[in-house]
Amino acid sequence: MEKILYLAHTDSNGSLPKPALEALTAAMELSKKLGGASLSVGLIGASIDAAAQAIGGCGAAKLYGAAGAELGVSRYSTDAAAAEALAKAAGATLIVAPGTTRFARAIPGVTARLGGRIDTRVTGLLAEGNTLKVQRWYYRQRMMSTQSRAQRPWVLLVDSGVFPAYSGPASSPSVESVTVALPALKTKTLGVEQATTGPQTIRPDARMLLVAGAGWTKKQSDGQLHIKDAEALIINFLEKTRASLGSSKSLVDQTGEGHEVISILTHLNQIGQTGSTPRHAKGLSTCCHGEEPHAVGWRFINERRAINLDANCGWAQGKADVVYIADAFAVMKRVNELL
Amino acid sequence: MSDSVERQSVEVDIACVGFGPAMGGFLTTLTKAAAEPAGENASGSALESRVMPGMPIQLMCYERADDVGFGVSGVVTRARGIKGSFPDLDPAAIPMAQSVKAEKMIYLLDPIGASRRPATLRFADNVLRAAGKALPVGRDHALELPYIPPFLHKGDGLILSLGQFMQWVGGQVMGSGLVQLWPGTPVAEALIESNEVVGVRLADQGVEKDGTPSAGFMPGMNVRARLTVVGDGPVGAVGQQLDEKFGMPEGHHKRDWAVGMKAVIDLPESCTWEAGTVLHTFGYPEPEIFGFLYVHPNRVASLGIFVPSFLESPVRTSYRYLQHWMQHPYLWKQLAGGTLRSWGAKSLQESGMHGEPRLTGPGYARIGEGSGSTNVLSGSGVDEAWTTGVMLAEAVIELWKAGKPFTQEELDGAYVRRRRGSWVEAEGRIAKKSRDGFHKSFLTGLMGMGLTGLTSGLLNVNATAKRPHERIPTLEKYCEGRIPAEELAALRKKAVAEELPLRDLIMNRLGWPEIPYDGKLLVSHQDALLMGGKVQANPGYADHVVFRDAELCKRCGEKVCIEICSAQAITAGEKGGVPRFDREKCVHCGACLWNCSQPRPGNPELGNIEFRAGSGGLHSSEN
Amino acid sequence: MSGLQIVVCGSLVPDPLQTLEPATTPTGPGLKNELMLPAVLDPWAGHALYEAANLAKSHPGTKVYLVSVGPKAKLQQLMMNIAQKVPFELVAVDASASGFTDPFEVASALAGAIEKIPGLDRSRLLLFGGCSSASRDAGVTLQLVGEKLGITDQFLGVDELQLQGDGSFKVYERIEGGQYQVSTCQSAPAVLGWATGKLPIPPNNPQVGMQNMRAIMPALQKAAAVKVGAEGVTYDKVEVPNQRRETQIKKDLSVDEIARELVEWIRN
Repeated sequence: MEKILYLAHTDSNGSLPKPALEALTAAMELSKKLGGASLSVGLIGASIDAAAQAIGGCGAAKLYGAAGAELGVSRYSTDAAAAEALAKAAGATLIVAPGTTRFARAIPGVTARLGGRIDTRVTGLLAEGNTLKVQRWYYRQRMMSTQSRAQRPWVLLVDSGVFPAYSGPASSPSVESVTVALPALKTKTLGVEQATTGPQTIRPDARMLLVAGAGWTKKQSDGQLHIKDAEALIINFLEKTRASLGSSKSLVDQTGEGHEVISILTHLNQIGQTGSTPRHAKGLSTCCHGEEPHAVGWRFINERRAINLDANCGWAQGKADVVYIADAFAVMKRVNELL
Repeated sequence: MSDSVERQSVEVDIACVGFGPAMGGFLTTLTKAAAEPAGENASGSALESRVMPGMPIQLMCYERADDVGFGVSGVVTRARGIKGSFPDLDPAAIPMAQSVKAEKMIYLLDPIGASRRPATLRFADNVLRAAGKALPVGRDHALELPYIPPFLHKGDGLILSLGQFMQWVGGQVMGSGLVQLWPGTPVAEALIESNEVVGVRLADQGVEKDGTPSAGFMPGMNVRARLTVVGDGPVGAVGQQLDEKFGMPEGHHKRDWAVGMKAVIDLPESCTWEAGTVLHTFGYPEPEIFGFLYVHPNRVASLGIFVPSFLESPVRTSYRYLQHWMQHPYLWKQLAGGTLRSWGAKSLQESGMHGEPRLTGPGYARIGEGSGSTNVLSGSGVDEAWTTGVMLAEAVIELWKAGKPFTQEELDGAYVRRRRGSWVEAEGRIAKKSRDGFHKSFLTGLMGMGLTGLTSGLLNVNATAKRPHERIPTLEKYCEGRIPAEELAALRKKAVAEELPLRDLIMNRLGWPEIPYDGKLLVSHQDALLMGGKVQANPGYADHVVFRDAELCKRCGEKVCIEICSAQAITAGEKGGVPRFDREKCVHCGACLWNCSQPRPGNPELGNIEFRAGSGGLHSSEN
Repeated sequence: MSGLQIVVCGSLVPDPLQTLEPATTPTGPGLKNELMLPAVLDPWAGHALYEAANLAKSHPGTKVYLVSVGPKAKLQQLMMNIAQKVPFELVAVDASASGFTDPFEVASALAGAIEKIPGLDRSRLLLFGGCSSASRDAGVTLQLVGEKLGITDQFLGVDELQLQGDGSFKVYERIEGGQYQVSTCQSAPAVLGWATGKLPIPPNNPQVGMQNMRAIMPALQKAAAVKVGAEGVTYDKVEVPNQRRETQIKKDLSVDEIARELVEWIRN
């Protein structure tokens, strides 16, 4: 009989971020699939009332809250203390939580304190009989595993973009307040800064991802480099579509080496084997070439189109829905005009 | 050597250039000796360092490739020298190693009708086809020869992935704690002072493509050594420098070459070849192109072709020919459905003892393929290379223990004497003239090999070796009678305008079918680089392929360098001018070094391309 | 702050360009031809190592350790690649470096090795590593090691660390939306899981390599064999998902036609 604790933190407005609402769906589904399982909720934040009300109708048997000014910020020591207290209060055997950067930092250590085990980047929860099986990726999204585990408590950080976000009626549930013994606060959070500004800002919520490949910085059909043109075309497209910008490793590496390159790219834009694997509804790749593992960068893009000079290119062939064999400079210029 | 740059300098006992099989043999032998105690009652190494007294001999080995065993090849070898170094060698300890079980030699007919076959060969093909019902030719356009000449037999040998073997050897010598082995470290040149080699200089880092210092400039370090061991292969920069500086011995030359292009593939379930199978092919895709296929354990095969310098074509391409060869019905019925795992290419020095350079000089000795050890009759080079390394190590041990310096005289007495008395030399002498016939014609060459092999070198076909550039016909001559002059001119124009290589335009026109890419085994050339060779290049190094005289390139009508380039790293330049070089694609096969049709002013043995020490290349150790 | 002790946790992963396929081994899932795959230092751990070395350069008295859990022979090979990059002292643990090991077991092996480092002063300890590995890709090992060592100031996805004169430091961590969370921490010890950082990969410095290697070979020779697996985990299946799509190749459209089609697709 599993005792499932859904664990979440609020955002700066006191509400639950989207990944947290998605993880709630995962936890609710799981409690239904596992016979005899109970579901409780643990919330962490400066104030958790609004969040508790928003998910009050989720059917949890019990809600625990850890609130206070120091819990309003993302910080390992306080987050770990709060999560540890909530897990202990709930006596959880399974803990389902969103894989936000805040929890990705704090929850592994909590697992150590609880003597449990953790799996992260979980993309599927299956129940066979009363056995829970999780799906998660290994080797940077190159292979997927279905696995179960004997140890408890078992903590699962759920990847965002996998489960639908919970939306249910608001209610005013009763919340059991859990006291957190705060550690000495050596770390002070100063705030948040944009890592990149301007059109190349990474926009995880954008509908579309534009992938710029190294072909933009190669000599074009006239034998010349057209890097400034490439940069202008890309920026123009991003401004018009509000798309997020991704790039290949080779291209962002060039930026770091001081070559003449597309200046707006940083390592934060890098997707693929040693970059991110963002999730967007649509993706347009331009001037990309490569096989696995490069192509994992757009594994989680639903609809994919590519502009490429080579129809056999591994990036496009078998990976994209449509590949246009054309000069990306000309096409993107015209696309921008039409947009 | 004028050099105004301030460089780090370090002193070692022995500096080694290149970590191939020859250096494997050298370091294996030397580290075993150095691990021995100085004497029964003495502590310390039997080979005590001179630069760090009290310590064992200080050995430093620099390898250009990014890791040990990157970019070498599948081989079949009788492994006499290797087994001598490892008497208890268990092939199971080395991934992909396998004892030879079955060996076949196959003549491949041309099932397409596009290959350039001399009339005599066409006649023979027709006879074979006519007799097809009686012989096992028919369906597969191939003839399995009933007899393999003994000089070609590898029956008691080993099939190896040389990459995996070298990793294994690297692990052993490093594990001894007596060698520092540094991959990813190209040696730019030998340090020569007063006609004496006093060590090596490593390549500069943090430089522009043309070598000028840029951000993060790190001048290559000087490594001063009592002895410099040069085993950097047939196209290594230090070997070339020494050939140029000290000259080749009278009558010796390096005029015979081949590109070996190879792949490692997962065989399909349907394949019936068993582990230990060895196939040698000839006759197709061009008569001059020999093929090989070795089956490793676990349904894996190494295969490939050799495109020799005597293939008189200005549009030589190894990659396209490799794909046609794999698709020959005899092979394809087993290979179809397979998957490319690894891919690569290398130059082979095929001059044998004709190409032996000065083996020693003051402060240096040469081993391996670059020292002319390859047996061009038996087509065996790895074991010979290994054995030259062993011989040098034995010589070094002798001299070191006797406290003698590494002068040319001492090295000649200790090392060259061993070489001259060795089986490598005895067999190399027999083989010396075996390929000379190819300088007359393909069929003469074939007969010459047979004659030399069957008479143990008593009878040979004699011919004067031509320089590589002397064997490259003009495109017009090559296409004479097959493509009308106007059409050829139009193809040339198209290639210049679109900056394309000519090879595919010409081959398509000559009747070679387009390659039906399947995304698994038949993949585009670029995908072979990515999927197979995993080719990469570290930033901050200078281009290692340099076109010396732009005017010569502009005037050149063939640009064989573009056609032969194993990795499409050399591509057409603007308006048919100086070709472009993309270091990030180069697999360091060195084919450009000997595939230039423009003789170098002042040294017609070489062309207009310099192939220097460079970083990057293949990132696969399965080859 | 001077005289830091920076312990970098990091091991080998397959060279990123290699084709990876799962395989079943007697000890659970693994990679096909795992021993033959060329390996590199885990990229994010590599960035951590280079950042550590950079800090050591500007803060005299700082010592950098690299603690690696991996098969001894593969670690030896890895050292040939990275020992020329920056000065460090190796602490090697001879165990599996498979992605299918449990981070708990890896963390125990790492913490055990770190605790044995002679003269380790936790008040000067910065525990570095990658924010995630390219093998297990879980992003938890470092935090577990931190907890086992009792370090409760931890940062993940770090791109920049600024040491202040008073022993405190400022940290930039990657968070959602392409943003950095900026924090200060009063003093060591702390755990920092690095993202890419800001430094390029250093060139090969042969002198650094020679210096490092003198201590690396003995460290490898005395590497203790430890069992690192995934006890309690049952792997039902590990597979490379079939990602192949039916790709429609449009070759003969004009630029204008392609652009119109794309714009319509983007807008829908």
